Amino acid sequence: MSYPASTIEEGVIDVLKTVSRRPIAPTLESDLVSDLGFDSLQVLEVIAELEDRFDISIPLNDMPGTRTVSQVVAQVAALVDARPNA
Amino acid sequence: MGELRTIPEALADAARLPRGITFLDRDRDTVRSYAEIDATSRGVAHALRAAGLRRHDAVAIVQSDPEAFLTSLLGASLAGLVPALVTPPSTMVDLPRYVESTAGVLRAAGARAVLTDATFAPVFEQGRGACPDLQLVIDRGALETSITTGLDASPTLDDLAFVQFTSGSTSSPKGVALSHRNLASNIAGVNGPGGLDTRGAEDTAVSWLPLYHDMGLVGIVFGALFMGVPVVLLTPQAFVKRPIDWLRAVTKYRGTISYAPTFAYDLCVRRVKERDLDDLDLSSWRIAGCGAEPIHGPTLAAFAEKFAPCGFRETSLLPSYGLAEHVVAAAVAPRNRPPRVAPIGPDLFVSCGRALEGHEIRIAGDDGRPLPDGNVGEILLAGPSVMVGYYRQDALTAATIRNGWLHTGDLGCLVDGELVVCGRAKDVIIANGRKFHPQDLEWAVNEVDGVRRGRVVAFGVPAAGRADRVVVLAEPKGLAESESIVDAVRRRVSDAFGLYVDEVVCVPAGTIGRTTSGKLQRTAAKLAYLRGEFTPVGVRVES
Repeated sequence: MSYPASTIEEGVIDVLKTVSRRPIAPTLESDLVSDLGFDSLQVLEVIAELEDRFDISIPLNDMPGTRTVSQVVAQVAALVDARPNA
Repeated sequence: MGELRTIPEALADAARLPRGITFLDRDRDTVRSYAEIDATSRGVAHALRAAGLRRHDAVAIVQSDPEAFLTSLLGASLAGLVPALVTPPSTMVDLPRYVESTAGVLRAAGARAVLTDATFAPVFEQGRGACPDLQLVIDRGALETSITTGLDASPTLDDLAFVQFTSGSTSSPKGVALSHRNLASNIAGVNGPGGLDTRGAEDTAVSWLPLYHDMGLVGIVFGALFMGVPVVLLTPQAFVKRPIDWLRAVTKYRGTISYAPTFAYDLCVRRVKERDLDDLDLSSWRIAGCGAEPIHGPTLAAFAEKFAPCGFRETSLLPSYGLAEHVVAAAVAPRNRPPRVAPIGPDLFVSCGRALEGHEIRIAGDDGRPLPDGNVGEILLAGPSVMVGYYRQDALTAATIRNGWLHTGDLGCLVDGELVVCGRAKDVIIANGRKFHPQDLEWAVNEVDGVRRGRVVAFGVPAAGRADRVVVLAEPKGLAESESIVDAVRRRVSDAFGLYVDEVVCVPAGTIGRTTSGKLQRTAAKLAYLRGEFTPVGVRVES
């Protein structure tokens, strides 16, 4: 199964809304920590949910530089493309 | 109390046992016998000596990988050095900024070397100018560790075992200095018949706790090493990403002892899915310790209920109280009893049991005199686990340990002789098991454009069973836009600490007071905030 970019974006935003404990309205430009209020623990929860939803494995070492929703979307898209049977 | 041993002595004893530590990773599990860990650590010790380090030199240990952390610490100990434990950067924190703030810790430690890994070494190389004592930045992975015999340094019980900087703030670092005697005494008290009643051959410890903190390092790993217990370790990141992996490890390895803060039990209640319960068998788990942050009774009850079908017993839950200044634990609830709650004022608090064998607990009033049972006062501790002191800070040590009593700053009372903790050390902000010191946040916010330097107050407002709400009060400079200050403050704090500020309030100039000696009146500001006394200049409230 492969996903069009818009589906990945929707999926990421859906996961963010599920994991957040406050009502949020993420946009591509939103910063996970300073705009959306995620702490480091919730960021890992987001990663786990994204892995389940898109059947990918996100290496933790890649995360320190990832701060905005668009960066997350791009990373998920790249990993989805790289799946063996994508 | 039996024979006390130093870390190298306990390691040598453990190395004769057919047991060790299993490091779990996503791709592979690595089993290291205590004999292998002993050999690798000896290699590290030799390499550190060969690099020119001398007995009693302080060496900062900055490692994320659990195995590298452990063999670095043990190696430094075997070499007769003083390992200084420093928190490695968490995910999402800006590395150069981390090194900048860690420089203060390295200076306080007088560290002659940083023992780190290939990722952090270049960053420390660059930040070296800020640390005059620092002569060596060592990449642990690049050390030649094949020579393992002929070490001449053997620390005595009264030499320092390590200095823990990980519970202090980075803006005014405090290193908790513990001797081998402190460590061995605490381990004996915690694991003795009145405590966990640990049995080397029958127990298995499972843990995801970071090793740079006392609960994971001493409570689990050194406890197991001294008692000859096998250990299974996950990384903290693996646990918070998939909490069920902790419970799967207990299931797979028939774990009997595991410790965690309340938030971890809460994560399991919230995030382990019903359909995954079938594969869990938690019947082997006899000590489910809970400590390190305020214990929330209803969370523990919810955990016991959810996992009862997996064989988990509520009587395994073991609330404990402790702090780094007392090695790790000071009181442990009796085994084989469900957590007991005691009403203090309008609230219910969880009992943490009695003092460890050979140790004492006292509750003191404002005048320092002992209070009768049932009265809330400051928790004071005495006995062989009380730290040697804050490293290279005699005045602070003298203010904290008076007449042999460690003044914890925590509030509690004795009910039927058992300790009930009902207030934390003032000012610390706790979010998901991480502690933040207000002054660190304030220092960071002081750098924000438009904020009046030194007129910033940060504090946490406790929320039952959840992370604290983080509040920052700041006075804007001149006509600075308060809306843009709110955003800039949030961003600065999140960049530096990976922490979200729930509420930023811009308050009029002159609102945030200082004492005549120039100390920030944080408590007064917090109380005024809670009473709603501030006239905010453009507030934005979320959640």
